[in-house]
Amino acid sequence: MRKPIQAAVLLACLAALAPARAAARPVQAGPAGQAGIDEMKKAAVKVFLDCDSCDLDFIKTEITFVNYVRDRLEAQVHVLVSTQSTGGGGVEYTITFIGQNDCSDLQDVQKCFSSKTDTEDEIRRGLVKALKLGLMSFVARTPIAGRIAVDYARPKAGAAGPDRWRSWVFSLSGNGYFSGEETYLSRSIYGSFSANRVTPRSKLKLGLSVDASKQRYETEDGPVTGKTSSQDLTGLFVRSLGEHWSVGAYVEIESSLYSNIDIGFSLAPAVEYNFFPYSQSSRRQLRALYKLSLNPVRYREATIFGKLRETLFQESLSLTLDLREKLGTISLSVEASNYLHDLGKYRVDTFAIVNLRLYKGLSVYVIGDYSWIHDQLSLLGREATYEELLLRLRELPMSDNYFAAIGFQFQFGSIFTNVINPRFGSSGGGGLSIKVN
Amino acid sequence: MNPIRSRMIKAAARAALAVLVLALPGLAQVPASKPAGTPPPALLTVFLDWPGADIEAIRAEIPFVAFVPSPDGANVRVVVAPLGPPPEGRLRIEVAGLGEFQGQDNVLTYAPGRDEKPGEVRKGVTALVRLGLLRYAAKTAAAKDLSIKFLDQAKPTAVNDRWNFWVFSLSGNAFLSGETQYRSHSYYASVSANRTTPALKIRTQVYGNWSGSWFDLGDGTSYESSTHGRGASGMVVKSLGRHWSAGGYLEAEASTYSNLKMSLSAAPALEYDVFPYSESTRRQLRILYRIGLTRTRYYEETVYFKTSETLFQEALSVAYEAVQPWGKVSLQIEGSHFFHNVKFNRVELEGGLEFRIWRGLSLELDGSYSRIRDQIALSAAGYSYEDILLQQKQLATGFDYSFSVGLSFSFGSTRSNVVNPRFGNGGRSISISL
Repeated sequence: MRKPIQAAVLLACLAALAPARAAARPVQAGPAGQAGIDEMKKAAVKVFLDCDSCDLDFIKTEITFVNYVRDRLEAQVHVLVSTQSTGGGGVEYTITFIGQNDCSDLQDVQKCFSSKTDTEDEIRRGLVKALKLGLMSFVARTPIAGRIAVDYARPKAGAAGPDRWRSWVFSLSGNGYFSGEETYLSRSIYGSFSANRVTPRSKLKLGLSVDASKQRYETEDGPVTGKTSSQDLTGLFVRSLGEHWSVGAYVEIESSLYSNIDIGFSLAPAVEYNFFPYSQSSRRQLRALYKLSLNPVRYREATIFGKLRETLFQESLSLTLDLREKLGTISLSVEASNYLHDLGKYRVDTFAIVNLRLYKGLSVYVIGDYSWIHDQLSLLGREATYEELLLRLRELPMSDNYFAAIGFQFQFGSIFTNVINPRFGSSGGGGLSIKVN
Repeated sequence: MNPIRSRMIKAAARAALAVLVLALPGLAQVPASKPAGTPPPALLTVFLDWPGADIEAIRAEIPFVAFVPSPDGANVRVVVAPLGPPPEGRLRIEVAGLGEFQGQDNVLTYAPGRDEKPGEVRKGVTALVRLGLLRYAAKTAAAKDLSIKFLDQAKPTAVNDRWNFWVFSLSGNAFLSGETQYRSHSYYASVSANRTTPALKIRTQVYGNWSGSWFDLGDGTSYESSTHGRGASGMVVKSLGRHWSAGGYLEAEASTYSNLKMSLSAAPALEYDVFPYSESTRRQLRILYRIGLTRTRYYEETVYFKTSETLFQEALSVAYEAVQPWGKVSLQIEGSHFFHNVKFNRVELEGGLEFRIWRGLSLELDGSYSRIRDQIALSAAGYSYEDILLQQKQLATGFDYSFSVGLSFSFGSTRSNVVNPRFGNGGRSISISL
């Protein structure tokens, strides 16, 4: 990505030197006058930008030769941006341009990539460039096309050398959170290390994470303190078997105060089938994963079943559907698992994200999970204290647990969202951003 | 346990193991789904079918592709032909993908102006061909050297809008969670009407929220709690040139958490941005002054023995935000006090930094600190043990702070763009605006 100043200098140099630079000249002789430009803008392409992770204000200030609308049905092009993480720890943006109304014959897909070390500014500039390139097929059908210049800086020789890291990526991070007031104090620290190697043929991920947190409340009866901590070492190896099958194994060593686990080890070979080809994964996936695990574990305190250590066999089957369509996003998963020594010890976890733009201005969302839990083998043998209960420091016996968020939004009025007005701060009505692992 | 079910599960387990065992020896023969990092073609090859065109001039105008004399081996075929009988003069430009671009087609039309000379028409058509080729060129190595510029400034309001930029919105939301010994719920609803133009910004909203939680204490007793709030707010901002803005806030609020039965306030305000507002997505340094009158009634008598009062307050804030190639930074400081007694004041400091120190090494800092001397609404009734632990009521405090720091270092092949979605690929995320 090029800084504006560098680009300007480059342009100036090229303009002085090369005849190839003629391409930069405007198509029509002389500017069309502001009234003419405004008339052209009225006929400009109507774009619905469907992107959760984009800096929309920046895009709208950088790309001003189209009109932005808030309703997908009004648009001539629905720009659907879906993301996936790359082996290097960055993000692959798949930008699908879906022509609608009088442009319904036009479709395109462009891609751009960010790397893990890119800053927000570099990422948003890369996206703007890819958006501009893809939008041009639509813009070429409107009168404003005559006012677009294309610059081409002749490339310098020299390609990227071979990858001396052989696709390995290492990451080390540490985080601390501290907050408090006179009668309340909370702190937590978190550290992690990961080493990953991702190629189309195989995926190897190793990770270590450690966290500890403490809360302290001052009450009339003296301070109440709660602590939790956990350590986790994980590994995953996956081998690709064509467009639909994969095999691999999970390895994990963990320790957790919340779950009463002093040390637990698990090794789980697994196999996965994707009903859609993996190459379509940025837009649609339906994956079934079967896993069989061996899990020797030692507890911190005697469990409700009087055990201090045991070796468990567990199997699980999960089904995950991810769809990213014009109408919205659907993500559903269900996972069922049971212990082999006692099939009555099982759990079923379900999870759903549905966010749909149903009709003009009306959108609804449902985010939720529900679990049936009958496999709490590590529960404390004793009663939890009042503080452990209220501060939720220990896993409690339960037969189910759920979370749900449901909502709707109905908008009407002006369809255009071209204007950015940052005065008195640009905070809108607030929002909700949810990231699920 | 149901014996049929257990047999089925065992059979499934055996089948899965069999698949694993069978699949493993065959691994070596399985081709990778896509070779890693296939280099894109260097230049797009284009076959141009435009009788009478000056190919040399077009080469100079469209330097980012290679024109070839036949459709064999070309990536794209472009056909330029008159549309309809000669007096009309319109030209049809058909751009069609070949080979790997099969099916990626576009049809454009060039309508020359009344007095356009043939040379100008040729230029105009060439310019459209150039735009039409960009979608393919974006997939070649030339993409990184291309840049697209709009030669004019168009007003964002140059649209035909029968609603005159008003947007109305209704929203309702419910959040529920629970387990056997714990449940919580909260609801949020709002109606808003907003209008944003470069000259004037109007925001109005009416909202309400209700939340509660329930704990089973295990000894046959349970504990229940609830909070609720509602209110309305309005803001109008008038633009006064590139740096100044003037406006005002109107607010009505009721909240059990803050002990407010009803609080009404009106506050005119003035803002100065040291940088022009047009640079706001890159940098802002905004100074905002606000002076307001608030009329409040309390649920419970306050620690200052008031059940209602009317107060004047002023506030000054300075906010700096920048998003630059090295990262981003934001810093805000706000001071406020009541006029009836300047000892009732508050200073808030808030900042964030994301900074790439060197290549893969980056630092993230976030923090806030408030010095609080203006908790005039605190209830004299005090709090229960549960009020404190469940954060049901605002507590007396002279300060609050939060701080987080993160350091991360990545090295190795961090530019690898391979996507491998097998066995899941990180998280899913979703953003919903309320």
